[in-house]
Amino acid sequence: MSVPSGQRSASRRALLTAAPAVLLVVLVIGAALLTALLQSLGFLPVFGEARFSTEAWADGASLLESAGVSLYLATASTALALVVGFLVAAYALTAGRGGRLVAALSAATIPIPHLVASGAIGLLLADAGFLARVLGMPEGFPQLVGDSWWAAVILEFAWKESAFVALVVLGGIGRPVAELTETAATLGASARQRMLHVILPLARVPLGVAGLVVFVYTLGSYEAPWLLGPVAPEPLSVRAVRLFGSVDLSSRPEAMATALTSVAVALAVIGLGLLLTRRSRRRSRAQSGVSS
Amino acid sequence: MTRHRPRTRTQKHLMILPSLAAGALLLSACAGGSVAAPEEFTDFDAVLDAAQGQTVDLWMYGGDEQGNTYVDEELAPAAEELGITLRRVPVTDTADALNRVLNERQAGREDGSVDLVWVNGPTFSTGRQAEAWRCGWTEMLPNMEHTDPADPLLSDDFGTPVNGCEAPWHKAQFTYFYDSEAVAEPPESLPELIDWAEANPGRFTYPGPPDFTGSVFLREVMISQAGGAGEIPLEFSAESFAEHSPAAIETLEELAPSLWREGATYPRDEQALNELFNDRQIDIGMTYGPARLTELVDSGALPASTRVMPMEEGTVGNASFLAIPVNAQDTAGAMAVANLALSPAQQALKADPEVWGQFTVLDVEGLDSADRSRFEELPSSPVVPSYQELSRNAHAELGFDWVPALDEAWRESVARR
Amino acid sequence: MTTVTKPVPSSRVPERRPQPSARRASVSGWRRILPVVLGAALLLWILLPLAPVLLWSVAGQWRAPAPLPGSWSSQALESLLSPEILQAGLWSLALGMSVAVAATTLGALAAFSLHRLPRTLSRIVGFLLLTPLAIPPFALVMGANVLLLSARVPTFAAVLIVLTVTALPYTTYMFSVALASYDWRFEEVARTLGASRVRVIRTVRMALLAPAIARAGFLAFLVGWSDYITTVLIGGGQFRTLPMLLGSSASSTGGEQLTAALSLAMILPPVILLAFLARWGARGRISP
Repeated sequence: MSVPSGQRSASRRALLTAAPAVLLVVLVIGAALLTALLQSLGFLPVFGEARFSTEAWADGASLLESAGVSLYLATASTALALVVGFLVAAYALTAGRGGRLVAALSAATIPIPHLVASGAIGLLLADAGFLARVLGMPEGFPQLVGDSWWAAVILEFAWKESAFVALVVLGGIGRPVAELTETAATLGASARQRMLHVILPLARVPLGVAGLVVFVYTLGSYEAPWLLGPVAPEPLSVRAVRLFGSVDLSSRPEAMATALTSVAVALAVIGLGLLLTRRSRRRSRAQSGVSS
Repeated sequence: MTRHRPRTRTQKHLMILPSLAAGALLLSACAGGSVAAPEEFTDFDAVLDAAQGQTVDLWMYGGDEQGNTYVDEELAPAAEELGITLRRVPVTDTADALNRVLNERQAGREDGSVDLVWVNGPTFSTGRQAEAWRCGWTEMLPNMEHTDPADPLLSDDFGTPVNGCEAPWHKAQFTYFYDSEAVAEPPESLPELIDWAEANPGRFTYPGPPDFTGSVFLREVMISQAGGAGEIPLEFSAESFAEHSPAAIETLEELAPSLWREGATYPRDEQALNELFNDRQIDIGMTYGPARLTELVDSGALPASTRVMPMEEGTVGNASFLAIPVNAQDTAGAMAVANLALSPAQQALKADPEVWGQFTVLDVEGLDSADRSRFEELPSSPVVPSYQELSRNAHAELGFDWVPALDEAWRESVARR
Repeated sequence: MTTVTKPVPSSRVPERRPQPSARRASVSGWRRILPVVLGAALLLWILLPLAPVLLWSVAGQWRAPAPLPGSWSSQALESLLSPEILQAGLWSLALGMSVAVAATTLGALAAFSLHRLPRTLSRIVGFLLLTPLAIPPFALVMGANVLLLSARVPTFAAVLIVLTVTALPYTTYMFSVALASYDWRFEEVARTLGASRVRVIRTVRMALLAPAIARAGFLAFLVGWSDYITTVLIGGGQFRTLPMLLGSSASSTGGEQLTAALSLAMILPPVILLAFLARWGARGRISP
C-alpha cells in the first residue's frame, strides 16, 4: 500500500488520533522496561551501590528451560482456548436461544480473576476434588493437579480464555455473521456447514488476534501455573515472581532478567503474529472488495 | 552481622528515569541527595501530641479473619480515643507493603503511604537490608517496660538484631498437628515423625519452600539432623552451610518417595497443606500460627479431631512485630498505635482465643496484679495448649541468610528429584 | 468463500428470523442431535468449574469424600452486605468504570487510526499498543510506580493510568477486529444522502460498532474491576477494592466460603453490565 501525497495529511491526522494511546503506552511501558533492564544489570538497586553486572543473566540454562515450559503452556492453552472459544461463538450464532444462553454464560466467566479460577479448577480437579468425589473417589482418577503435563493449568487457561476468544469473535463478526448464517440456514445449510463454511472463514481475523492475545497473556500469567503446576520445573512467570518475592533482595536482578526474557519471547510472538494476521486480513479485505 | 549495620546511610543514589521511548520526557526523580533526617520526638507526650488527627495505615496480611476483626473492632476504636484513625490495608503478602516502601524510596518520596507494617522475620530482614525501617524508636514506648528486656525472641528477629526498629506484637511457636482419628500414637519428636511418614506412605507432606512454613520445616529437619539447635551457629557461613545442609537435604530426598504424591510435587503453601489435611489426604500438618487452630477447628475448616502434637525436643519460636518505614507520613500516629497494641489491656484481649488467641509478648509475671489477672482469667483453648507448654525447649530462628540458601538447595535437589 | 465473506448491505436489510418450521423441515436426525450434544458439552465446560464455587458459597462444612457439603450456611453470602465489602465494591466499580471510559475511548481512536495509517506505520503502532500484554504485571507495576511516584501523580489517577495502559491492547484490538469486517459503504451512503460528518459518526458508525464498543468497554471495565497488584502497589492502600478482599480470603485456610461468595460478587455486576451493554448495543437496529 503506497501513500499517495493526498493521503499524507490523512495519515498524519490518523497518527494524531492514535497519539494519546501510543504516548501513554510508550511512557508507562518504557519506564517499566527501562527500570527492569537497569535493575537486571545491577543498576537502580533497591539498596546499596549501583554496580554493573551481568550475573543475573548468567544462568542461561535455567532461563531456557523456563522459557520452554512457558512456551509449551502457552501453545497448548491457546490451541485449546481457540477451539473451544470458536465452538462457543459458532454455537451462539447458530443455535438461537440456546446459543445466546451459552454465549451469556460463557461471558459471565470472564470477570472471574485467574486466581479464583485457578482455585476453582483446583477444587474441581484435585485428587480429592469435586469431580473425584462425584465419581465416588475412584482409584484410577488421574492426577491432574501438579502433574508433569500441567493438565490442570492448561485447562484453567483454556477455560478462562475460551470465553475471551468467544467474546472477541462475537464482537468482531457477530452482527453480519448472525444474519449470514440465518440466510444460510433458510437456504438449508446444516449447523456444521454454517460453522465451517460461513463462520470459520469470517472468524479468521478475530481468531488470529484473540489467539495472539491469549498466547501472550498465558505466557506472562502466573497464578494458574503457580497454584496448579508442579514445583519444578517452573515457567518464566513463576520463576520471576518467586525470585521477585524472595526474602533476599539480591535476587531482584535475576527476577528482572527472567521477566525481561518473558517480555522478549512475548514481543517476538506478537511481531510474528501481527505479520501473519496483517497478511490474512489484507487478503480477506482484498477479497471482500472493501477499501479503507 | 556485618551486612545489617545499624548506621543509616545519609546519601541516596541519584536516580534518573529517562523515558527514552517517549523521547521528549526526561523525568529526574531524586531525593535531593539525602533522605531528610527522620522526625525526632523528645518524649512520648510529644509523640501523642503529634499523633492527633493522623490517619495510620496499618498494612497487614489480610487472610486472617480473626485478626482483621480484632484490628477493626478492638484496636481501631482504642486508637480513635487517642485521636488517631487506624486504617487497615489488607495484603495477601507482607512483602507487598515492603515493595511499596521500596518504590516510594526509589522515587524519593518522604510522604510514604505505609505507616505501620505487621512484619515477620524475613520481611523485617529484607527491609533491614534495604534500610527501609525507622530504628531506635521502641525504647520511647511506655508499654515496652512490660516486656522482658532479656527475652531473646524480642531482641533478635531471624538473627537480625531488632535494635528498636520494630515493636513486638505477639509470639508464635512452630506447631505440628495431627488427626487423632487417623493417628493413634502420634510421633513425639521430629525423627519419629520422619519414621512415621516412612511407615505410612502418602500420609505426610510439607509445603514446598520458599513457602514460609515449608522453609521452617526444612530448617527444623536440618537442626534435628545436626543433633539439636545448639549444634548449628545462628549466623550463616558457607562452612556451616556445607557442614549441615547436606544431611538435611539427604534426609528429605530419602523421605520424598514416602510423601503424598510420592514427593513428585508439594503443596504450594500452608493453605494447600491444610486443604489436604482437611480432605484427609494427609494426617499430619504444621503451622507457625497455632493461635488460629482453635478458630479453624471451630469453624469446621479443620476436622474436630485435630490435635496439637508436641515435640520432645521443642520447636522453633519467634515473635512478630510492628515496624514503621523510614518514610512513613504519620510516624507519630504509628508509634502511638504500636504502644497501644503493647498495652496489657490490648495484649490480654488479643490473647483470648475467642478474639484472636495470639500469645502475648509481655512479661506477665512482671505485671501488676490487676493486669496479671486479665491474663490468668483467659479461657483456655480445647485445641491449643498454653504457650508455656508449646514453647517448652523452644529454640530461636537461625540467621536470616540461612533461609534463601537452604531453600535454593532444596529446590535444586529434592524438588527436581 | 469469496462470496460469503462479502457482507453485502442488501443481505442485512430484511429483518429475517428463520422460520422454525422451515428449519425443522430441513434437518435430519443427526443434524438435530449434533447441536444438542455440542450445546450440552459447552454448557458443561462452562459450568462445571463454577459448581464447586457455587456450592462453597453456601456450604457450612465440606470435606472429602463427601460430594456435597455436610452442612449449609448463608453466612458467607450475608457477609457480602457488610459495609466493608459494599464499600470495596463501590471502589471497584469506580475503578472499572473509569478504566472502561478511558481505555475504550483511547482504544477506539487508536483502532481507527490503525486502519487509516500506511502499512508500516500501522504495524509499528499496532505493535506498540500490544506491548502491555507482554509485560508481567509485577514488572510493569514496579517500573511504572517509580515514575508515577516521582511525578507525584495523585494516587487514583496513577492507578487509572497504569490500568488504562493494561486495558488498551484489549480495547484497541476489539475495535480493530470489528473494523476488519466493518462496511465503510454505510458511511458513504449516509454521506451521499447529505448527513454531516458528526451525524454519520454518531448515528451510523456508533450504531454499527455498538457491539464492539460494548465488548471493548466490558473488557476494559474488567481490567479495573478485577485488578489486584496495581491497586495494592500503586494505589498504596488508599482504597480497598473487592480483589484485595478476595486475595486476602483466598490466601487463608478456612476462607473457602467467603472466597466463593466474593467470587460471585465479582461475577455478578459485570454480568449485569454486559446484559445492559448488549441491550444498548442491540437498540441501534434490531428491535427485540
